[in-house]
Amino acid sequence: MKDRYERVQPGEKVFDWLLLLFSGGLLYEAWRVDGIPSLNSPGTFPVGLALIMIAACLVILFSHRRKRRAPELTTAGDELKAFVAEHFQPHIIVFSVISIIYLVAISWLSFYLSTFIFLAAMFIYYRGGKVLSSLIISSVSIAIIYVLFTLVFRVYLP
Amino acid sequence: MTDTLHYFLMAWIDPHLLLLTALGTLGGIYIGAIPGLSVTMAVSILISFTFAWDINDALALMVGIYVGGVYGGSRTAILLNIPGAPSAVTTAFDGYPLAQRGEAGRAIGLSTVMSVIGGLLGTLILAGTAPYLADMALEFAPRDYFLIAALGLLLVSTLSGKSLARGIFSVALGSAIGLVGLDQVTAQPRLTMDNMQLLGGIHYVVVMIGLFGVAEAFYQLHNLNKVPIKQKVDKIIPPLKLVLKFLPLSMRSGVIGVVVGALPGTGGDIASLFAYDHAKRSVKNPRVPFGEGAYEGLVAPETANNAAVGGAYVPMLTLGMPGDAVTAVIIGALVIHGLNPGPMLMIETPHIFWFTVGNLMLANIFLLIFGLTGIKIFTKVVEVPKAILIPLILVLCVVGTYSINSNMTEVYWMLGFGLLGYWLKVFGFQMGPIILGVILGPLLDKTWRQAMSSVGDSGSAFLLELVSNPLSLVLTSVIVLVLIGQTPLPAWLRSKLSRQS
Repeated sequence: MKDRYERVQPGEKVFDWLLLLFSGGLLYEAWRVDGIPSLNSPGTFPVGLALIMIAACLVILFSHRRKRRAPELTTAGDELKAFVAEHFQPHIIVFSVISIIYLVAISWLSFYLSTFIFLAAMFIYYRGGKVLSSLIISSVSIAIIYVLFTLVFRVYLP
Repeated sequence: MTDTLHYFLMAWIDPHLLLLTALGTLGGIYIGAIPGLSVTMAVSILISFTFAWDINDALALMVGIYVGGVYGGSRTAILLNIPGAPSAVTTAFDGYPLAQRGEAGRAIGLSTVMSVIGGLLGTLILAGTAPYLADMALEFAPRDYFLIAALGLLLVSTLSGKSLARGIFSVALGSAIGLVGLDQVTAQPRLTMDNMQLLGGIHYVVVMIGLFGVAEAFYQLHNLNKVPIKQKVDKIIPPLKLVLKFLPLSMRSGVIGVVVGALPGTGGDIASLFAYDHAKRSVKNPRVPFGEGAYEGLVAPETANNAAVGGAYVPMLTLGMPGDAVTAVIIGALVIHGLNPGPMLMIETPHIFWFTVGNLMLANIFLLIFGLTGIKIFTKVVEVPKAILIPLILVLCVVGTYSINSNMTEVYWMLGFGLLGYWLKVFGFQMGPIILGVILGPLLDKTWRQAMSSVGDSGSAFLLELVSNPLSLVLTSVIVLVLIGQTPLPAWLRSKLSRQS
């Protein structure tokens, strides 16, 4: 028999609640523009948008009533484990953390040096330790970026 | 007339523009074909590099990338069953089964020719209708602009993605992002959270690069080690008899593509779905059933999605409203170059319109040439491992964002939007409606306030104008019908009618 329930993704409900919270915060920010707005005031549109977002979030949250967890996820703990396993895999965390470090490092080390280190580190990690070829690809990439953006497009890079 | 012809042929006779169009089309085919690289991403990143360029150079490259990219997605849809772009999702339904039957070359050849037919048809309709629409648009009142923008956002909410509520949330979120900064009328800070750096607003290119570039890179990390299956590709040029056989379906699908593409907010992905549905309904006896390798299932979406390119330019050039996410980005490029997309564009800068039309034609000719050649090299390039591609996408996003204002804070914002976009994407929110919201939100705000000022801030007078002015009445009726279409009422009426009959 066909399952009449849609599946809810692990973490989906929490995310949708967070969006409702965010929309509430936006409503507060919009209300701060000019209090209760008239039809033609600067705050009208932001307040209207925040109310639309809240209404949409409530509809989304209500729609979860028609959804069910995957049968193997019986508890909230199972759901959390599945969520972490799906979205916090080591290679995703590594990419996220190194990306943040890379962006911060641009201001200290200059764009080209930090980019070279970032690309080399990511290539070596993702390609399972092929150090020499990863360094060559990184060098070629940096050379192409330099020629294309600095020489051709004349983009000023930090 | 001489001027028009000169503007039209500008890209054809100037070797520099000819080369840029050719490069754009070729690059677009590869960008569109590589899963993880989208045309919107490419144009978003590119726009920041072309700030200092001549407008014709920038447009030539963007038009080429747009035309090539919409087509390029079909290549991987046929060869790997991985649509390189959303507009090629429908192509995979019959394209991949054709490849599995050993007809990959034939499918690629047919899709190329049909894409070119669709692209040329879309351009001809753009050239024929846009000047008249622009004349009409000069008569539009602010409330009509408001209604058209609202209709566009409503359509994109209803037609993209699985859930209307998610679509509406995305559009509202994008509009809110577009409003951040000082109010254009009273200079009051709006949605800035008392942060001085937000007083200048958030540059929409930063949002675009974050949502389309970084978010996609993070999303692609889930399929890092997916190895594509290689197909045998030969007999690429399709026989004329086969092309002529499908020409009537192709023309019908092309018209569907142009009409759907011209609706503000919709694009090639929705156009191809409509055309595929039309083909399924109108073709009674395909050679093999739809979904199992029917040529008709390949012809209809491929013609429609390229025809939608010309269609998407219609509202952009006549009303200043983007037809889809790519034209939303191109609007940004025009504004940055001091142009005013909308009805006045035709009057103030007619060369931009005719240059775009000529450029679209030229890009379609290059599409035919590049589409039918170099397939062996192509199959190698699309196999670039994601392990190399994803870090490079992030670097390109950084370069693109930094080059807007030479501001590292905007790069951090870009990463923030990328992470937000990733989570939104994971939980079924579309990126296109957010971007359209960013572009159309301020326009909605402005036109709403202009409309309210014109009726002395009276809600009842505004409502009266909606039903007393013919154009406003038509637009209001369409909005009401679209809204009713999302309720259970149409299904209830259909079931009642079928019971009666």
